[in-house]
Amino acid sequence: MSLAGKVALVTGAGTGIGKGVAIALAQRGAKVAISYNSSDAGAKDTQEKIDEIGGESVIVRANVAYKNEIDTMVKQVAEHFGSIDILVNNAALQLNFNFYDHDEDTFDRLMNINLKGYWQCIQAVVPYMKPKGSGRIINISSVHGKRPTDFDTVYSMTKGGIKMLARESAIELAKYGITVNTIEPGAVNVGQQGTKETKPIVPAEVAEKMKKEARDIRKKFPMGRNGLPSDVGSLVCYIASDESEFMTGSSIRIDGASMLL
Amino acid sequence: MKLQNKIVFITDADSGSGKAIVNRLAAEGAHFILNSTSGGEDIESNLQLLKAFGSKVVVTNINLCKSSDLEAMLEETARQLGTIDIFVHNNNVVKPASVETCEEQLFLEIINANAKSAFICTRAIGKQMSAMQSGKVIYVSSIHAEKPTGSSFAYSASKGAVKMLCREAALVLGRDGINVNVIELGPVEGDQEFFQSDISTLYDSYQYKVPNANLGSHDDLAHLVLYLSTDEARYVNGADIRMDGGFLMHYMDFKMKRP
Repeated sequence: MSLAGKVALVTGAGTGIGKGVAIALAQRGAKVAISYNSSDAGAKDTQEKIDEIGGESVIVRANVAYKNEIDTMVKQVAEHFGSIDILVNNAALQLNFNFYDHDEDTFDRLMNINLKGYWQCIQAVVPYMKPKGSGRIINISSVHGKRPTDFDTVYSMTKGGIKMLARESAIELAKYGITVNTIEPGAVNVGQQGTKETKPIVPAEVAEKMKKEARDIRKKFPMGRNGLPSDVGSLVCYIASDESEFMTGSSIRIDGASMLL
Repeated sequence: MKLQNKIVFITDADSGSGKAIVNRLAAEGAHFILNSTSGGEDIESNLQLLKAFGSKVVVTNINLCKSSDLEAMLEETARQLGTIDIFVHNNNVVKPASVETCEEQLFLEIINANAKSAFICTRAIGKQMSAMQSGKVIYVSSIHAEKPTGSSFAYSASKGAVKMLCREAALVLGRDGINVNVIELGPVEGDQEFFQSDISTLYDSYQYKVPNANLGSHDDLAHLVLYLSTDEARYVNGADIRMDGGFLMHYMDFKMKRP
């Protein structure tokens, strides 16, 4: 499964899942635009890892909450590589605020990045995919598009919105040969990341307890481990390839069956 | 009288669904706070009817996305009527919005009207209900929380968001004895106008896609709202109830029951 010659734009590629996806795409020969907003060092690290495997990449910066930044970023990528074949919508914010800690402002911030940002990135790349009669749009959502989080209501509202954005985009863009699919990862090991304002998902004392009970991990993850960015990356590569041509409007849960327990 | 002296807050009371729900719940003895974008003008006849039923009514017209306005209103109505027992979020802004060409302003208008208001209201009213350790939250949503419209991605995305709000709130508010559910209503007479699409054939001959070929109405919706408002529904929580007469189960056109 080769992606040689394809151009992929991955948002949020400086950290976590986005980094894993960018590297996986480069491994298959795609030219990768590493888009980031705040993790400058992370984006450079992604580029270094792609350099190591002999891949081609470019770093671009955009806050996907703003349409003008998205448009500039997409134009930059198209000018640098000559086209855009694959968009991976991945840049998202999770605040882990309790239900009553959210307000109008936090609602807007999450909605603007996670849902509006995904849509406007799609809107921005379509003009480049349309003339080719093909394109791949892959939304990284979450199992929390279906199952509630119990730690960030607005986050899962945005993911519920992405589910429908993807279905609508799939039927609307099918006439251009563009497919739109959604990946719903469960818990993925993403290493150190996040910003000062985001609260830890689990309080420290709970985290400590969980560590002690590591042997019980199968009770949460039947495969005996949680996900890795590279797990999501492999799936992205399949969807990005020509082999997935007839698959559109689909959602694929990738969580080692953790949601089934 | 299933709702004797219960206080009900309904948003978009001016809509067809709002009027039907108000009339049904009034017959069971409820009192109302009605958020009416016409300031009560478009619901004159309903207000007369409520008077006849003996319902106490406060008509408001506030921005449901603004916590401060909402909290001030809740404080005031708590003095006048009492605290809210039943909250029915009934906003339903449908406007065409293409993924490819929609403007940001329209997208936000639809998301805010349908989803943000649901969250901001639930948060404010949920606090009040939690203090009483009881309450019912009911979102009137749409089958388009699951089925794409082919005409307004912003609409279906807003309804997808409400579906997740319901599930989250069912956990958080559920711990305080509050039930939170969402009704995903299917087509009623005239809906084909709202969902005209070049892409989706869903609303072509839509009335016959209901297996028994009888379209539902807002009165059907009102019956379900009443059930979810009572303690008979105490074990229904975090549920999305599709109410469409089996419309979304439709598959084979040639088997449709036609007159």
